[in-house]
Amino acid sequence: MSTTVVDAPTDATPGGPARPAQVLRTRRRRPGASVGKTVGIVALLAFSLFPAYWMFSSAIDPEAATRGARLLPAGVTWDNFVAVIDDGGFGHYLRNSALVALGTVLASSFVALFAAVAVSRFRFRFRRSMLVLILMVQMVPLEALVIPLFLQMRNLNLLNSLLGLTIVYLAFALPFAIWTLRGFVAAVPVELEEAAYLDGASWGRMFWRILVPLVAPGVVATSVFSFITAWNEFIFALTFLQQSSKYTVPIGLQKFFGENTTDWGAVMAASTIITLPVLVFFVLVQRNLSSGLTAGSVKG
Amino acid sequence: MADLRAAPGASVDPGAPGAHPTSGTAPQPPARRRPGMLGHRSPLRPWLLLAPALVVLGVLLLWPLVRVVTLSLQDYGLRQIASGESNWIGLQNYADILGDSYLWTVVLPNTVLFALACVVLTVVLGTAVALFLNTLGGFWRGVGATAIMVAWAVPAITGTYVWIWIFDPLNGLVASILEGLGTIEPGTVNWFTERLSFYAIATLNVVHHGFPFVAITVLAGLMTIPQELHEAAKVDGATAWRRFWAITAPILRPVFAVVTILSTIWDFKVFTQIYLMPGGNGGNKDVFNLGVWSYIESFAQGKYGMGSAIAVLLTLILLGITLVYMRTLFKEEEL
Repeated sequence: MSTTVVDAPTDATPGGPARPAQVLRTRRRRPGASVGKTVGIVALLAFSLFPAYWMFSSAIDPEAATRGARLLPAGVTWDNFVAVIDDGGFGHYLRNSALVALGTVLASSFVALFAAVAVSRFRFRFRRSMLVLILMVQMVPLEALVIPLFLQMRNLNLLNSLLGLTIVYLAFALPFAIWTLRGFVAAVPVELEEAAYLDGASWGRMFWRILVPLVAPGVVATSVFSFITAWNEFIFALTFLQQSSKYTVPIGLQKFFGENTTDWGAVMAASTIITLPVLVFFVLVQRNLSSGLTAGSVKG
Repeated sequence: MADLRAAPGASVDPGAPGAHPTSGTAPQPPARRRPGMLGHRSPLRPWLLLAPALVVLGVLLLWPLVRVVTLSLQDYGLRQIASGESNWIGLQNYADILGDSYLWTVVLPNTVLFALACVVLTVVLGTAVALFLNTLGGFWRGVGATAIMVAWAVPAITGTYVWIWIFDPLNGLVASILEGLGTIEPGTVNWFTERLSFYAIATLNVVHHGFPFVAITVLAGLMTIPQELHEAAKVDGATAWRRFWAITAPILRPVFAVVTILSTIWDFKVFTQIYLMPGGNGGNKDVFNLGVWSYIESFAQGKYGMGSAIAVLLTLILLGITLVYMRTLFKEEEL
């Protein structure tokens, strides 16, 4: 199917020595192409958005549990959300998650920015080794570290503590944050830095007054990633947090599952609450994030 | 550290906080500037800046990596946790795992075949979507990109719950449709108990969550290919299929390598999506993959040594893939 679609890039490129009549003719000659595109975009939207739609529409459905194959909700109610926040204790989990995520974002922004400046602004021995190290630790399967980190945190009495979780998430967010920020720092012209020194600024002053404001967009982008890392994380929260008063949202969600029956309206309402902030942040910074994730893979 | 101090300009620390910013700057710059390099700095500063990150990464990523290996060489259970003693047994855990038919008949096939299916489907679907988006005009391309971003952004946990709900045997969407069609008897089918259908649902979940990354990355690559190449090939009568393999694929080879290898790493260590599905958290031993098996052995059975050995095995597999990844990446980028 896609092969016939690829055939018609003329539509996308109206530039060049434009001969509108001919463009029109090509378009008219292949009515299959535009039909194919319409079908394609509808299928793509349906496939991509369906789970998110099903989540939200079940959350606002007053009869979610018996919904079956009804594509539209039976009505619109906020009862599921109210029930989740009020009775489910979900408000408390949200607070815990927000604290952990915020702590992770703040700490990782500073630590990563310092490290990024070091590797992209200085020439020193082992610089290349440091870069390789940062890239390598990004590949460490975190899932394999649950057992030793559990024992480590247990010895430090940091199980069941939001601080312990924040520290672990800081380590998870750092490699990517450093790697991404390094590109942003390198993009700041060296001349600006030198001009600041000529004006008599110290290194610290130059850092805060010149570098930090200029790489702020990069810091925002990596912060969003750190936030999502901490907000979504499941295994370590599952392993570390044993008292329900310390649960973060991914763990708190399990509370809505009964032995045999599940209150799907409540589960989907809670899921919607968890998903929304991630969705908003993610779509907002999509450009920065995807270019950061793929840094190095696309030359261009 | 000694050789660092020996570097030129080491004696001056111009960046000390509160240093007099006006004194002595005039004669300094000409003396300290070297071509292609910033002179205004102490050789210790990069290490001071790196220190917090190195401490965090060392204590929380590298040390645990060493620790998981040493744990895998011990019979480490609840008693050892309480006493803190070591209990070395050499390679016994590995011998037990590798000699267990459960690994070869259940866990390894689950892990490898599942990862393989996910990677192939993710890359093919992602590439197809990228090629499709590349043919669209600016507006619809934006709409499509945003839609797949939504699929990407939905967290693994909540996404998994939605798929469980969709395939719920009692009131789920799929069961209701099939009942309506008369294909299945109400309440007789449970897709989560059968290994194959369990993994079919998990594959759908992981591919749906993973294809946007491939699509966005490949799309970014596609937009860098000069349009003239395709037009010239078209003039020569090449079909779209042939143009893809003769132009697009070779140019984007590094992009495909990176997305394939990254997807492979991610799909080998899938945990959340399996663990959260009914039976995945210990109830159904037929559906474990390496990650889940390691977790259950440790935290449900209390056999931390055994769990660590499984984790090491998984890590070694990923390490092999990572080495390939590093080689691909370093060929492409000058650090």
